[in-house]
Amino acid sequence: MSATMQLAKTESRLFMRDPIALFFGLVFPGALLLALGYLFPGFDEPSADLDGLTYTEAFAPMMIVLGIATLGLVTLPPILGTYRQFGILRRLRTTPVHPARLLWAQLVVHMAVAIVAALIAIAVAALAFDIAAPEMPLWFALSFILATTSTFTIGLLVGALARSTVAGQAIGMGLFFPLLFLGGMWVPRQIMPDGLRTVSDFTPLGSAVGSLTDTWFGSTPEPLHLVVMAAYAVVVGFLAVRLFRWE
Amino acid sequence: MPVIEVEGLVKTYDGLNAVDGISFSVEEGEIFGIVGPNGAGKTTTVESVEGLRKPDAGSIRVLGFDPLQDRYEVTQRLGAQLQESRLQDRLRVGEAMELYASFYTHPADWRELLRRLGLDNKTAARYSTLSGGQKQRLAVALALIGSPEIAILDELTTGLDPQARRSVWDNIEDIRDNGVTVVLVTHFMEEAERLCDRIMVVDRGRVVAKDTPSGLVARMGAEQQLRFRPSVPIADADLEELAEVTTVTRRGNQLVVNGTGNVVHAVTALLAQRGVIAEELRIEQSSLEDAYLALTGNDNTALNREVK
Repeated sequence: MSATMQLAKTESRLFMRDPIALFFGLVFPGALLLALGYLFPGFDEPSADLDGLTYTEAFAPMMIVLGIATLGLVTLPPILGTYRQFGILRRLRTTPVHPARLLWAQLVVHMAVAIVAALIAIAVAALAFDIAAPEMPLWFALSFILATTSTFTIGLLVGALARSTVAGQAIGMGLFFPLLFLGGMWVPRQIMPDGLRTVSDFTPLGSAVGSLTDTWFGSTPEPLHLVVMAAYAVVVGFLAVRLFRWE
Repeated sequence: MPVIEVEGLVKTYDGLNAVDGISFSVEEGEIFGIVGPNGAGKTTTVESVEGLRKPDAGSIRVLGFDPLQDRYEVTQRLGAQLQESRLQDRLRVGEAMELYASFYTHPADWRELLRRLGLDNKTAARYSTLSGGQKQRLAVALALIGSPEIAILDELTTGLDPQARRSVWDNIEDIRDNGVTVVLVTHFMEEAERLCDRIMVVDRGRVVAKDTPSGLVARMGAEQQLRFRPSVPIADADLEELAEVTTVTRRGNQLVVNGTGNVVHAVTALLAQRGVIAEELRIEQSSLEDAYLALTGNDNTALNREVK
């Protein structure tokens, strides 16, 4: 087996052995959707505030983004911090394999978990709340890829700058909550004041939720959202690569 | 033919030369020791050889290759165990071996390596459950997984208890017996004396001596000291007449005789001839530790004279 495949296999095994990452990254988005839909009265009734969507419909794409944010901002940075702190990246530099391949393996594993978590959330939405699968699957998939790429590069940048596990966790969490807020986790984007929603449009999670919501419920994504996500992916990705320290 | 050649290596940190013009070469098949106090530049030197650091001046050749420019060749043929490097807690021993084996074109049989290092019953154990000695032996196994021609081991036995340390020493001799050249960084003189064919003593970024362990001790003039309580009084002058004796001093009822060469035999023969019994006889000779302390002027290590 090639070194890259073996790295991806090893990293996915390690991910599976981390119960907290597994729960919050993989299961939590679907579980939270289920809980919100069942616990809050009126969540499955269309609301004029939400452009005719029900609260569960509005939260379904939000939950997918929650999963992406958890993986990119909460689990990824401390892993990179740990690998640097433990000298694992340094140790790799003395082998024929460049440590960048370990970063790729991490991104692949996190991407795979994000996809499965999204499928679980989509299944929960369909089975528990009769919400049809995304109506524009290709646009939805593109939005999903841009959302994961932009969020993961932010996690990569945090991991690039964090000297240790704890620093990675602290910076990651410091971004996680404000970005989720701007994404509409506590105040759905549809009922945000106009000014706040404009700010939200220019954040990675805000544009992700906007784009996933549009494509799930039948409209093409707003070009602005796609451009914002792509811009974060390119600019932040460039910074992460430039600033990454192997030790 | 040397497998490692370092010429005029300089590495500067914050305007200070951590390595200040170190040159040495390592011959094929030997165990080459690099010893010196903390901060002497030992690790910086070997990390430059491993290609982890870019020298500010000087040249390095590993099997004829430049560690930075010919990274691929050097990493295929040189295995490293790094100081303060560890693995993921949840990774199993066998998985780590399998992973690292996939990095090399000609990997060794990892099961056989684990068996040689006494870790074959730990294949399924998670890294976090290993003892300090087991972790170090796994680091050695990973350094050897690519079937390297050279293995660099940095402070391998630091932090291990004496028993684990001795077991790792046997492993190092075994590695050399399998045809791998070993570079051993250590600050334990006992370890260097026991294992190394040649030793380079480094202090403040410079080489202060390069010799075999016995050669280093011989430089000390091989002074020996006898201490005993004579059963019958004997005059200092009688002892001082012996060619091998340099000084005779008294401490209470004890005689302290310093000398060189065959001084032990000369003194005991004289005592036997006079019918004097040397009670509480103790003989001390310079050890590598003394040589090291004299060379580095570093006296914060406990003086460890060899008592016979």
